[in-house]
Formats: sequence, structure tokens, C-alpha cells
Amino acid sequence: MEEKGPRKPGVCVPWEEKVKELPPLSGDPELVRKIWEEVDLFGYIFIWHCLVSF
Amino acid sequence: MPSREELYQARLKRYCTAMHNGKPDMVPLRPFVAEFTAKYAGFTCQEVTQDYRKAFQAVLRCVEDFDWDAVVGNMVYVFAGIPQAMNLSYYAFPGVELPPDVGFQYKEPPEERAFMLPEEYDLLIEDPTGYLFNVWFPRVSRDAVPIGEPVTFRNNLAYLKGGMAMLDYFTAMGKQNEALKEKGVVPAICGILKAPLDILADKLRGYYGLARDLVERPGKVLQACEALMPHLFKVALLSADPEKQLPVTMWMHRSCVPLISMDHFRNIYWPTTKPILEELWKEGHQVLMYAEGNWDAHLETFRELPAGSIIYHVDRGDIFKAHRILGDRFALSGGFPNDLLTFGTAEEVREYCRKIIQGVARDGGYIMDAGAIIQNDASVENVRALTEATREYGQY
Repeated sequence: MEEKGPRKPGVCVPWEEKVKELPPLSGDPELVRKIWEEVDLFGYIFIWHCLVSF
Repeated sequence: MPSREELYQARLKRYCTAMHNGKPDMVPLRPFVAEFTAKYAGFTCQEVTQDYRKAFQAVLRCVEDFDWDAVVGNMVYVFAGIPQAMNLSYYAFPGVELPPDVGFQYKEPPEERAFMLPEEYDLLIEDPTGYLFNVWFPRVSRDAVPIGEPVTFRNNLAYLKGGMAMLDYFTAMGKQNEALKEKGVVPAICGILKAPLDILADKLRGYYGLARDLVERPGKVLQACEALMPHLFKVALLSADPEKQLPVTMWMHRSCVPLISMDHFRNIYWPTTKPILEELWKEGHQVLMYAEGNWDAHLETFRELPAGSIIYHVDRGDIFKAHRILGDRFALSGGFPNDLLTFGTAEEVREYCRKIIQGVARDGGYIMDAGAIIQNDASVENVRALTEATREYGQY
């Protein structure tokens, strides 16, 4: 299965896009990325379950 | 008298052994009881559809009284609060558009008002998630506004309330599964999958639109299915059982002959469905292929899947034929005619139950269920007869 396009499965706003909007990160960038991606996933779950489940 | 925990463990072992095509101590019972639970528990269809707490109560009431190994926590499944929060246009609900004791309905729009237009294939292919948010959702929701139009209060609420309602329901479903376990009953399934071509017909182009596209632009249909594949796999994986015991369910709708041609099945449906099933199996997840309607024309093709990777569920197909063709590789479920549960006598139910068990379950690898979900047309007496006959004839 080939993943194409600007948004990979599980992603609404990619971290690479989001991080450009942020000021230089003063702390642990991995923590910011991890939480961003975890919460971003909820948006993905919402829209795909609208399509598949509801 | 076994404890609830002992009962649960025994039932889990029975169910899992059968799903892996083995021979348990007896034939497991896994009826997909939907609006039947409302009828049995004294609720209307409206009550269990619009208030999931009543739906949960109805299921729990049933498992107290019926000796079932596994059930779905809420097979009425579409909790109306979610589509209503988003003002989705494609449902009709009991107590709203329908009489209070009629099961909810899915309304497919006419071809000219399909949720995805034929010229939008490239948009979907390029960015499926973006397409769903930016184009599809504003079309299926009466409250969401298209990108570029002034935002509205109702637009904002459609996303916010829809998301919150979904979170609330999924959280509650987890608790319902725990409640089932405490009663010694196995939650039957975990995780959802639909095949790319099916979802394209169901929620995007509509069946008629897709049928036309298969003739006029089959290349675009294939590309769209390929673009959907990794996402549908992801949804299945995200919703799958972390313990890898319960199967993901693939609800199979209209991608079988004669609803599509054999060529379209071979060249579009199967090449974009099989890899998802294989990947899930590599991840350790079985898939319950819930073959709604009659998929007998494709049984030989399904043999291509890794042995044990699926449980094949028969609805209107021939359970005995499915057993002959698939029985050495996969467990089967279902095949019991729903109309017999509604119009038959208890004795006819018992006799058909015996016939299925003798015909397909002698060596294990079979789970008793009706062909389709059991709704409120089924008689309580006949569901009881199905349960008791399975126990009587299903001992190994």
C-alpha cells in the first residue's frame, strides 16, 4: 500500500508544517512533536469514522 | 457453578478456538443481536437508537437470559446523537423520520446529488483526508459550510459536538465491553474496516454513480481505491483489539457479482482489499469478513488469503458451499436464515440449526449466528430455540 499525498494516514496537520509556525523551541522538541501528533490524530479519527462508521 | 470470570475465560477460549478454525468444547454462539435486544428488554427502536445507555442496558439484559458466548456491546451501533450533532443528511431515525419502532435507515442520495461528484476523483486521490474535511463533510452535513463561505455558529457546532459525541460514545463502548466481561460474555468484535470500493459506493459516489464510473472511468476508480487503502487500513489498525484476540470486522456491502462485474471485482475490488487483509494479519489481527448479501461467486478468490487470517461470515450465500470451498482454511459463521427467525416455527429453527451444525461444524471452525443482524422482527421464541438447539446439537 503506497502512501501518497500531503497527509499520511493518521495525520491532519503534519508536524513539519506546524513546526514552521512556532518560535524556536526552547525545550524538548520531541515532546512538543509527540503531543502535537497524538492530538492531531483525534481529528483524523473523527473524519474517517464519520466516513466509515457513521 | 462457575464464576463469571471462569465463564468468561471458557467462552473466550471457545470463541477464539473456533475463530482459528479449531474444535472447541462446543459450537460457540455469537448472535449479532441489534434491535432484537430492544424488543426483548422492552424498549422501542427509538429508545435504543437515540439513547445508547438504553441500548447497552438492553444487551446486558439479553446476555443475562440467553446463553451466548459473544455479542456486540451495541449492534444498533449508530448512536443517533452523533449524526444528529453533525446534522448528517443520510440517516432516517426512529421517532424522528420513522415510526418509533422501526430500525434506523441509511438514505442514499440520487445520483445527481451524490456526496462526491464524478469530476472530483483527482481531489480525493491527491489528498483523501483533506477531501473529506474540505469537500465531503460540508456536503453530508446540513450545518457545515463549504470552504470559502462565511463560517457560521452551526458550522462550528457540527464539528465540535460531533467530535465530542463520538468521543463520549467510544469511551462508553469501552465501559460496556467491560460490563459484558463482568457478566462472563465476550465482546465479539473490535475494530472496523470497509473495502475501498465499498466505501466509494456507500458514502462518496453512491452505488449508481459508482456503477457508471466503473464503465466510464475505471482507471480513476482504481486510483481512488488505491488512495483510500492506507487510510482504511489505518482506521482498522487504530480500532483493532490491542490484545489481538477479537477480530476486526469488514462489513462487506455491494462489491460482489452481480452488483459489479467479475472483471471489476478481480481488477479493482480485490487488488485493493486483499493487501489490507494481509497487512492486518501480519500485524496479528484476524478479520471477520461479514459478507452481506451473497458473495458465493468469490469464494475461490478468498482462498488466496493466508489460512486462518479471516473468519468468513455467510449471510444470503450458501453456508454449505462456503464450507466446502473455504472450510479447510478459515472458520465460518452465520448462514442461519433471518426470515426463519421471523416467520418460522421454533421446531423449524431447531431443525435448521441441527442441519448447519451437522453440515459445517463437525470438525469445529464454526460460530453460530444468523446471516444478518437480528432486528426486532425476530421472535423471542425463535431466538431462544436457536440458542438452545445450538447448545443441544453443538457439543463435541
